[in-house]
Amino acid sequence: MEKYNMLLCAIAAAALDICAFVLIMTAYAEKRTSRKNWAKMTGGMVLAVNETLYPLSCDEVIIGRHASADVRLPDPSVSRYHAILTFSGNAWTITDMDSKSGVYVNGMLVKHAVLRNGDVLSVGSSRLIFRRGEEHD
Amino acid sequence: MTENPISYFFSCIFVTVAHLAMLANIWVNGKYDSPSDVLLLGGAVILLDFVWYIAMLFFKQKTFALSFLLILILNMSVIFQSCFGGVELDKKHYITCIAALIASRLGYHLCRDHKRLASHKLWIYAGIGVLTVAILTLTGSRSIWISLGPITIQPSEFIKPLFALACATTVGEQMKKHKLLMFNVVWDNLIVLGIFFAICFLQWWCRDLGSLPTFAGIYAAGFLLRICYPRAKFSKKTLIAAAAAVIAAAAVALKFAPAYVQDRLHSDIWSDVNGNGWQQSRALIGIAKGSWMGRGPGMGDLHSVFAHENDIVFATVSEEWGLLYALMMILVILIILAVPLINPPRSYFHATMVSCICAAITVQTALNIFGSCNLIPFTGVTIPFISTGGSSMMTSGFMVGMLMASQNPDLRPPKAERKRPVPIRSEMQ
Repeated sequence: MEKYNMLLCAIAAAALDICAFVLIMTAYAEKRTSRKNWAKMTGGMVLAVNETLYPLSCDEVIIGRHASADVRLPDPSVSRYHAILTFSGNAWTITDMDSKSGVYVNGMLVKHAVLRNGDVLSVGSSRLIFRRGEEHD
Repeated sequence: MTENPISYFFSCIFVTVAHLAMLANIWVNGKYDSPSDVLLLGGAVILLDFVWYIAMLFFKQKTFALSFLLILILNMSVIFQSCFGGVELDKKHYITCIAALIASRLGYHLCRDHKRLASHKLWIYAGIGVLTVAILTLTGSRSIWISLGPITIQPSEFIKPLFALACATTVGEQMKKHKLLMFNVVWDNLIVLGIFFAICFLQWWCRDLGSLPTFAGIYAAGFLLRICYPRAKFSKKTLIAAAAAVIAAAAVALKFAPAYVQDRLHSDIWSDVNGNGWQQSRALIGIAKGSWMGRGPGMGDLHSVFAHENDIVFATVSEEWGLLYALMMILVILIILAVPLINPPRSYFHATMVSCICAAITVQTALNIFGSCNLIPFTGVTIPFISTGGSSMMTSGFMVGMLMASQNPDLRPPKAERKRPVPIRSEMQ
């Protein structure tokens, strides 16, 4: 009888374990959904630097030389925290974070500007293209 | 309707199976007067499960993992609490679990739009202020409880999510520095520090120092996120000074702690089993008696010990359900906290809020378990979702709602701005 009781305890524990595992899998499945929804909401924009693509996966993306910058440009002409891209009111904007060399959008020096698909950003001596990701072309 | 119907379907099935397996264990191993007690408990649990599953279909939410985890842990809690000392549905706890589910919806709707919250941060400060004044004036002689007829409220519990919100709404203000004497300061950081000191005073005043580490955890998480926030630009000197101040404050606090705290810090529970060590020694004996598989639901002895259903609930669950099951209960809480790691928040606000909430729940759970196991002095704090107490349950539900909000952020512009055309260029240099 005691063995039978132990078996039931073990089954209850196993059921909880499997349930926890299924819910973790659910969370992983939702991660993909969230990513798609985010891309849908924000236009699925990316920053292209040479061959590298940086998806804009957060509503504040920092461009700079510092290790903690989201888009890190190891270029001495780029300030540690050079500019910030923010998503607000259905549009992406770029703001200069008091950098030394400034931020240029399509060749014009700006402090703050709303970005459009295909805009070319110049940060220090680096060129970045603000465009739609391939999944959203 | 959910965007992942297969995940939704399997989650419904497995959460229900997990509860049914617990109920089967009670049916076979439990101590009950009449089978109708088990049937009533089982009916209540499964009914709440299905009502929540159906309600979830009407929530306009993109992610559901946290909602499933919440119903899983809350109904586990109903089953545990209904078994202590004999199986009988704990109606009061059942109602507080429903209140926790409703509070989670409230937390979700309030915290989705961080820009709106940031613009209303004065309301958050005011909320903390009102609760502080309520504790100082309405709790009676330096107590933490407000009695309203048949129910009692613990207002300090409600300060926890508000404090986490205060930490999160101010993280984006790091560039607004002002000169104060010879220091560059951010007013919002000083306000949050001021709120933390006020909470410390309040906890000392109402002799609830056990909850202080939870608030310290929230503040520490908020502070760490400020350091990580790229626009904060904390200098190394500031950080070293802050660390030195924390160490000095901890040393002073330990030296000048009230007598009842000193007693707990230095007492040996086994030399005072009928005095200060009563609860902890009983709890340890209960855990040992329960072993890995437990003595059976309702068959423990700890139900006769004061605060068995909240302060030493980990030991009570271990005794009746076994250490294995008690550890898995903690695992479910940890998975709730891990979901934001799987699906990270999309803004610094939500990241800070989630970190503060996770810190609060982790510290609180750790204090309860380690206190029950005599690894640290007994603090008397509750395990979120498991311990009884309406204020604690509602706050825990609200905090899970905040975690859900971080998974489903609302980034739409305010209604008035939605039809306005987006400007092409602005503010050239």
